[in-house]
Amino acid sequence: MKNKKKAEDISFEDYLRKLEKIVHRLEEGELTLEESVQAYEEGMSISKICLEKLNKTKKKIEKLVIEGEDKYSTKPFSEKEGEDAIHDF
Amino acid sequence: MNNYTESKIYTVSKLNKYIKKLFENDYNLQDVWILGELSNFKLHSSGHMYFVLKDKESQIRCVMFRGNNSTLRFMPGDGMKVKVRGDVGVYEKRGEYQLYVKEIVEAGKGELYLAFEKLKEKLKDEGLFSEEIKKKLPLIPQNIAVITSSTGAAIRDIITISLRRFPNLSILVVPSLVQGTSAAKEIAKKIDFLNCHFKGLDFIIVGRGGGSLEELWAFNEEILARSIYNSKIPIVSAVGHETDFTISDFVADLRVPTPSAAAEMTIPDKNNLLDNINVSKSKISRAIKRNIELKTENINSLCANLKYQGPENKINQYFQYIDEFIARLNSRIRHQVELYEERVKKDAQRLDSLSPWAVIERGYSICRKVSGKEIVKRLEQIKVGENIEVIISDGKILSKVEKKEAVSN
Repeated sequence: MKNKKKAEDISFEDYLRKLEKIVHRLEEGELTLEESVQAYEEGMSISKICLEKLNKTKKKIEKLVIEGEDKYSTKPFSEKEGEDAIHDF
Repeated sequence: MNNYTESKIYTVSKLNKYIKKLFENDYNLQDVWILGELSNFKLHSSGHMYFVLKDKESQIRCVMFRGNNSTLRFMPGDGMKVKVRGDVGVYEKRGEYQLYVKEIVEAGKGELYLAFEKLKEKLKDEGLFSEEIKKKLPLIPQNIAVITSSTGAAIRDIITISLRRFPNLSILVVPSLVQGTSAAKEIAKKIDFLNCHFKGLDFIIVGRGGGSLEELWAFNEEILARSIYNSKIPIVSAVGHETDFTISDFVADLRVPTPSAAAEMTIPDKNNLLDNINVSKSKISRAIKRNIELKTENINSLCANLKYQGPENKINQYFQYIDEFIARLNSRIRHQVELYEERVKKDAQRLDSLSPWAVIERGYSICRKVSGKEIVKRLEQIKVGENIEVIISDGKILSKVEKKEAVSN
């Protein structure tokens, strides 16, 4: 659980950078066997996290309807609605 | 005609100089804006521009020197309605007055253009455009909002392109007026609203498709500029065409030339990212495989080394050592034996010289009893008539004792 939270906090960019660093370290070939196994495992889990991050969001196209100063709702948005462009508060 | 005096007669150049001074000293003629239509426009090879500014009833010659016209945003042409700013002065050589133009603005855009420039300067001085305060957009946006007209091509383009690049994206469409007098206020309010209720948004695209300067004007208004500046959520400004620049563009965290470019530039291509990750993955797999191969090779060569250093080799070495030792021992013993042989030989020689035979050789002889072979040293050992043998160097003489005679010394 704690780990999961941590994964949320780190940005995709940071993971990508980490992944590149691991690839680089492994390709240099100067790691001990233990270190390279560790790097391998870390790299694989990071790439898994990256893929998860890429697939996390669900496709959702919604329209915001503001109903008052603090009131609003969302409706599915259809491009073909051809609705009126005027939406005042 | 008769009452002129000599002192009132001017030369032509003096007169023109005087008139020129008059013009120059009249502030009503300096730094003025004049509205008119361009005609007879000529761009000289020197870079200076010559033209006439006219209205229905009148006209004035104008010159705009190279130093002033280099900052023009458009190429003036005949028939254009323009506003020009300049000083009215006298061209002494021809005794003509003309307008020395410093600035030309297309008349239709004039007011707005001036307002734009003024607001731009003001907000710039306040630091609203400063690069340091611009927020960075995340590489993988997940939730974005688009404030624009819900009917225009802009929203369609943004949605289509965004989803093509990143199929699982959450887009919140916030319909808004994008032109007209209340548009700026409405867009600003919606930015504030999103900041209040949708803090998790990765960024907001604010924009509209192309249009005239008037149509795009909402994006040049201060209220919208301030709302963009105050937004905690990064703002992408996507207004009009490539060539249109608005105040919103300057304040926004990212300016993109068109609404479709907003999607192209802010939404990553998911396939590219997937490829990147997969390439990294296979690189990691390859690298670890190679690492393990290298280590295996290493172990193999260590094993070979170990064998070389191992007990088998050591034993062989001892064998060799022992062999060598035995050889040394042998040679030592041989040497010793030789030494003994030598000594024995020497002793034998010495023994030889002591041998009784050597004495006998010199003429002595040994007398022995035949029976018992007892050497006869004294008379009492034998009796008369007993058989004795006398040994000499080359044989023995058998004799019989006839008489015993003692020696008296």
